[in-house]
Amino acid sequence: MADGNIVMTHLVAGYPNLEESRLAALAMVAGGASYLEVQFPFSDPIADGPLIQGACTDALNEGFSTDKGFEFLASLTAETDVPVFLMTYGNLLMAPGVENFVERAAESGVAGLIIPDLPYDYDEGLYEAGKKAGIPVVPVVIPGIDEERLNAVLGMTPPFIYTAVRKGITGARTTIGEDTVAFLDKLSRSGAKVLAGFGIREKEQVDLLAPHVHGTVVGSALVEIIGRCAEEKRACSGEVKAFVESLI
Amino acid sequence: MAVYNDFFGPYGGRYVAELLRGPLDELEAAFKEAMDDDGFLKELNRFGKEYIGRPTPLLYAEKASKAVGGADIYIKLEGLANTGAHKINNAAGQALLAKRMGKSRIIAETGAGQHGVATAAVCARLGLECRVYMGSEDIKRQRPNVFLMEMFGAEVFPVESGSKTLKDAVNEALRDWASSSADTHYLIGSALGPSPYPDMVREFQSVIGKEVKAEQEKRKLQVRAMVACVGGGSNAIGFFEPFIHSGTPRLIGAEAGGTGPEEGCHAARMTGEGRTGVIQGYKSRFLFDGDGQVLHTHSISAGLDYPGIGPQLAHLGDTGRIEFTSVRDDEALEALRFFASNEGIIFALESAHAGAAGLKIAEQYKPGEAVIINMSGRGDKDIFITAKALQRDKWFDFLNEETKNG
Ligand SMILES: Cc1ncc(COP(=O)(O)O)c(C=O)c1O
Repeated sequence: MADGNIVMTHLVAGYPNLEESRLAALAMVAGGASYLEVQFPFSDPIADGPLIQGACTDALNEGFSTDKGFEFLASLTAETDVPVFLMTYGNLLMAPGVENFVERAAESGVAGLIIPDLPYDYDEGLYEAGKKAGIPVVPVVIPGIDEERLNAVLGMTPPFIYTAVRKGITGARTTIGEDTVAFLDKLSRSGAKVLAGFGIREKEQVDLLAPHVHGTVVGSALVEIIGRCAEEKRACSGEVKAFVESLI
Repeated sequence: MAVYNDFFGPYGGRYVAELLRGPLDELEAAFKEAMDDDGFLKELNRFGKEYIGRPTPLLYAEKASKAVGGADIYIKLEGLANTGAHKINNAAGQALLAKRMGKSRIIAETGAGQHGVATAAVCARLGLECRVYMGSEDIKRQRPNVFLMEMFGAEVFPVESGSKTLKDAVNEALRDWASSSADTHYLIGSALGPSPYPDMVREFQSVIGKEVKAEQEKRKLQVRAMVACVGGGSNAIGFFEPFIHSGTPRLIGAEAGGTGPEEGCHAARMTGEGRTGVIQGYKSRFLFDGDGQVLHTHSISAGLDYPGIGPQLAHLGDTGRIEFTSVRDDEALEALRFFASNEGIIFALESAHAGAAGLKIAEQYKPGEAVIINMSGRGDKDIFITAKALQRDKWFDFLNEETKNG
């Protein structure tokens, strides 16, 4: 693990294309990322903001497929020791069958699954399949979540919990209030490793969160850098690595 | 007493990220409470009578029936409701509910624009702020409705993401709601989405079926079949509602067959390649590829051009209570022309799909037996599409003149 802040960096597999996204992932690792969160693009990613949706659309237009996504994950997990989490939406699991999808995720060496639109009470067998395949499913919660629901989530004693640090979608910058901090502390006391994200783009925010969480998730800011490089047709590795370093 | 469901057989549910859970719980509680309150139901009823123009007529289409030589064809004229389509029933119900919940702002998504127009109109009337999300492709296709929404004071927000059509407008509206639900109600336009929307929209649209049932009893009609078009499915489920739990009559849903059965050329989820999935917060039958990516759809009518279908209709389709059929663009246009020239009625292109299916069904029965077609809307809004399809040269000459004079 890194000496400084623990950061989980997010990328969209296949954006702007598979090779570039592989180089970006490796640059994140070189920059000191402790975890990678790889998003499989979906045509209708409703929990994401316009930036990530745009990246998903582009990746799909570039020919991303689930098969290619698993190959991508397998090569990534072979190349680095940093744990790789797979994030996507429920319909990508429904299409081949949840169990089938989870097995393939396990085969490709994934360390956990983050599927925001399959919450524990509408999970289509995801949690059970995860258990069977030996990959943890990471529940996604938010500050202000109903007490009963939170207890139900914590009752499953998940090794990781993913939480947004504000209401709303990914994208815009977040200001972190006292309420949020209190919520993060409460989550951390449960014993789960808390990963907190949504709108984190500066070291200042990461530093502020660090004492209260296991790790901080940085997404849109990186997708933006990768997108800018692609647009200007230049390699992104240097910039991505430098940005991740700046957070740690 | 209405029965509320989270699931309809295997379909329905609330497959949403945690951030939408709270607003949905709040809405469900408020909806159930309102439906138990006579005061609310009376207000809704009065709004229907005085503002929407209910009840809408059930017309005996005598000339059309004679021309077909089968069943007596009746047409439920929802298009005579204020703003021109059944969408207003649901918009009114939800807007009144939102007001009761203390919300000051309404957001909605629209494809054809009918739902947007209805929502903008009731917001104007009730003094609610209104933003309508609409795909930029649909804005291009449905300019007259954009104009009307703006007349009512709504902000029409162009959606540039994805395929720039209805499903993308839904995504944008859901995103808005995720961060605005404290003062904002998301007024979904069809009987789909996460629960409680399918129940709520059905209840607000069931006024159509209740009026049909009352007329059926009054006129002692031997109804053999009822036909409605199915985009998301709100006019169909509202029209069918009082008849679902009995074995008769036959209930028939007409989907968009578009230009043919090839992928991307239609929106046939029940008669085509629709498969079970979880998209936009609910489980139902959708058009998606082997990886689960949503497919492009096509229909001449923007209102039927949606890759999903309401969960209750999907379930009733599986159990066989509702039969589904698909109607191609050219068949819908032909039905439009038929009813215009035989009955003096211009169907909305969506409803013309029901019209076309209804004509075929009517052939299977005899005079004295009734087939009822739901004309969910009237076709004024479609003039830029239908005139181009039916009278291309004259219409272009007219438009050329107009731009020259403008
Ligand atoms: C006149 C009319 N009928 C039908 C529809 C389809 O909606 P639904 O299937 O929810 O009734 C629309 C949608 O815009 C419409 O405008």
